[in-house]
Amino acid sequence: MDPLTAGLVACGGVIILTLLGVRIAFAAGITGVLGLIAVRGWGPGTGMAGLLAYQEATHYTLSVLPMFILIGYLAFHAGLTQGAFYSARCWFGRLPGGLAVATVFAAAGFGAVSGASTASAAVFSRVAIPEMLRYGYDKRLAAATVAAGGTLASLIPPSAILVIYGIIVEQSVGALLLAGFIPGAISAVNYALIIIVWCKINPKLAAPMPDVSWKEKFRSLGQTWGILAVIGIILGGLYTGWMTPTEVGGAGAFIMFCLALAHRTKLSAIWEAIRETSKLSVMIFTIIWSILILVRFLGFTGVPATVSEYIGGLHMPRLAILLMILGMYFVLGMFLDGIGMLLLTLPVVYPIIIKLGYDPIWFGIIIVKMVEIGLVTPPVGLNCFVVNGVRPDIPLSTVFAGIWPFVVADCLTIGLLIAFPDIVTFLPATMGNGGG
Amino acid sequence: MAQSTSSSGDGGSLLLAVDRVLGRIESVFNDIGSVFIFALMWLTMAEVIGRRLFNSPVPGAIDYIETGMVTFAFMGAAFCQRSGGHVRMDLLVTNLRARLLWAVESLAIAVAIAYVGIIVWASCQDAWRSYSLGDETLDAHLTIWPSKLVVPIALMLLELRLLVNMWGYLRLLVLPDAEPWAVPQIMHVEDVAQEQIRDVLGKIDGPSNSPPGR
Repeated sequence: MDPLTAGLVACGGVIILTLLGVRIAFAAGITGVLGLIAVRGWGPGTGMAGLLAYQEATHYTLSVLPMFILIGYLAFHAGLTQGAFYSARCWFGRLPGGLAVATVFAAAGFGAVSGASTASAAVFSRVAIPEMLRYGYDKRLAAATVAAGGTLASLIPPSAILVIYGIIVEQSVGALLLAGFIPGAISAVNYALIIIVWCKINPKLAAPMPDVSWKEKFRSLGQTWGILAVIGIILGGLYTGWMTPTEVGGAGAFIMFCLALAHRTKLSAIWEAIRETSKLSVMIFTIIWSILILVRFLGFTGVPATVSEYIGGLHMPRLAILLMILGMYFVLGMFLDGIGMLLLTLPVVYPIIIKLGYDPIWFGIIIVKMVEIGLVTPPVGLNCFVVNGVRPDIPLSTVFAGIWPFVVADCLTIGLLIAFPDIVTFLPATMGNGGG
Repeated sequence: MAQSTSSSGDGGSLLLAVDRVLGRIESVFNDIGSVFIFALMWLTMAEVIGRRLFNSPVPGAIDYIETGMVTFAFMGAAFCQRSGGHVRMDLLVTNLRARLLWAVESLAIAVAIAYVGIIVWASCQDAWRSYSLGDETLDAHLTIWPSKLVVPIALMLLELRLLVNMWGYLRLLVLPDAEPWAVPQIMHVEDVAQEQIRDVLGKIDGPSNSPPGR
C-alpha cells in the first residue's frame, strides 16, 4: 500500500472508530501508532510514539491549560457572578430587554475569568433567569440569553480551546488569546443588539426596568474589580510580552485563589476545585498527545498536503471553500463535542486554510465561533440542556425556540470577521515580543 | 474468578472489590497531579514576581515545570476513564440496547486496551533509553528519566482500569440485564448537562435572588 492510500485508510479508520464510540483520544492514537508501525516498522514506529507521548505532553506551552482551567473553577468560589450581574444591570437595565442585555455582558465579564461555556450557562441560569422571570420576561428570551451568553466564555480569554488550537497548528498561544478579546466583545455586542431589536419588535417579551442613579452605577463597578484585575493581567501581560501565557494563567489563578479565600470558601472546596482541574486537564492532555501521534503519521503519508493541493487547485473562489468548511463545522458541531471536533478535523482542514491564504490566527477565532454555535444548536446543544437542567420548568423546546436569533447574531459576527479580518489580527500584530 | 463470583449470584463481587481498590489508587494518582497544578500556580507567581520586580528569575523554572507536567498530563488518566471523562461521540451507543450495546462497548474498550498497551511498552523503552543515555534538562540539569518513567506507570494504571472496564462489559454481555458495574456510565447529553450543573452549582456565590454585595 502506498503511503497516501494508507493515510486515507487511516482517516477512514478514525471516523469509523469514533462513530463506534471509541473515546476520541484512543481512536486517533491507535490509528496513528499502527500507521507509524506500518510505515516505519515496529521498533522505530513505537519508539517514535513513545517519544512523542512524553515530548508533546510536557511541552511548556501546554502548562497554561491547567492554569486556565483552575481560574475557571476557582472563579465560582470567588463571589464574582452576583457582582457582575448587578453591575451590568445598573448600566444596561434601562434598555429594551435590559435584563437580558445585562445578562449577556455579565456573562462576557465572567467569560474573562472562565473558559468553560457550559459552566457559565449553569451559573447564569441560577443567577439571571429568576430575575428576568420576576420582571415578566418571556421564558424563551430568558433561557436562550443564558444559553447563548454562556458560549462567550469560549472565545474571551482565558480560553482553553484557543490554547488547544494553538498547540495543534503550532501558532503563538499568546497571539491567539489576545486576538480573542475583540471578537469576543463584538459577539457580546451583537447578542445585545439582537435582544434590543427583538424586544423593540415585540415589547411584550420584556417589561422595562426602573433606572438607577449614576452614583449607584459607578458604585456597582467596585464589585467587578476581581474580573477587571484578571482582564488587566491577561491583556497587559500578553500584550507587552512581559508574561508567558502560563504566567498570566498562574497570576489569574492566584487572584481567584485569594478572592475565594476572602470569600470564606472552605479549603476542602478549593481542593475539590483543584482535583476537578486535574481531571479535566488530563482528559485534554491525553487527547492532545494522541492526536499528535496521528498527525505525525499523517505527515508521513502526505495526506494533508495532497488534500490541500487538491482543494487549492479547484477552480472555486476561496470564500466558497471557506463557507463549505464552515458549513461542515456547523453540522459537525451539532453532534460532536467542541474539543473533539477541532482536534479530529484540524490536521486535514488547517493545511487547506493555509493553502487558501487565510491567516492562521484569524482562522482560530473563526473556528472557536463555530464551536460556540455548536454549543447551542439542536439536537445536542449542551448549553441549552444545561439551562433546562437547572430550570426544569423551562422545557428544552422553549430554550431551542429562543436560540435562533443568537445563532443569527453569531453568523453576523462571523460575516463581519470574514469581511474585516483586521478586527482579529491587528491586536496580536502589534504585541510586544517575549510572550510565548 | 468463577469461584468467588458464584457466591454473589450474578458474578460481580470480586469485580466490585477490584474496582474499589483500583479506584483508590486512581484517586491518589489524580491527587498527585492536583498537587503539582497547585504548585505550578505558586511557581509561576514566584517566577513573575522574581523576574519582573527583583530581576532574579527562579533558576531553571521552565525545566521544573516541564519535568513536573508529566504528573498532571498522565497520572489522572485512569481516574478520568473511571468516571467516563475522556470525550467520545456517543450518538450510536446511546441508541443501542442490551447485548448489542455491551458488544459495541467491549469492542471500543478492546481498541483502547490495544492502544494503551502499545504506548506503555513504547514509553517504557523511551524511559529506558533516557536512563541509559543519562539525559538531563538543558538549564537546571535535572535528570529526565524519572519524569519519563511516570508515563508508563500512569498508563499501566489506565490499562488496568480498561481491563476492569472490559471485565465489566463482558459480564454484562453474559448477563445483559444485570446492574452495570465497574463500567463508565453511558452519558446522554442530559447526563452531561446534569454533571456540569452538579460541578458548578452549589459552588456559586450565594442564593440566586440575594441583593448585591457579597
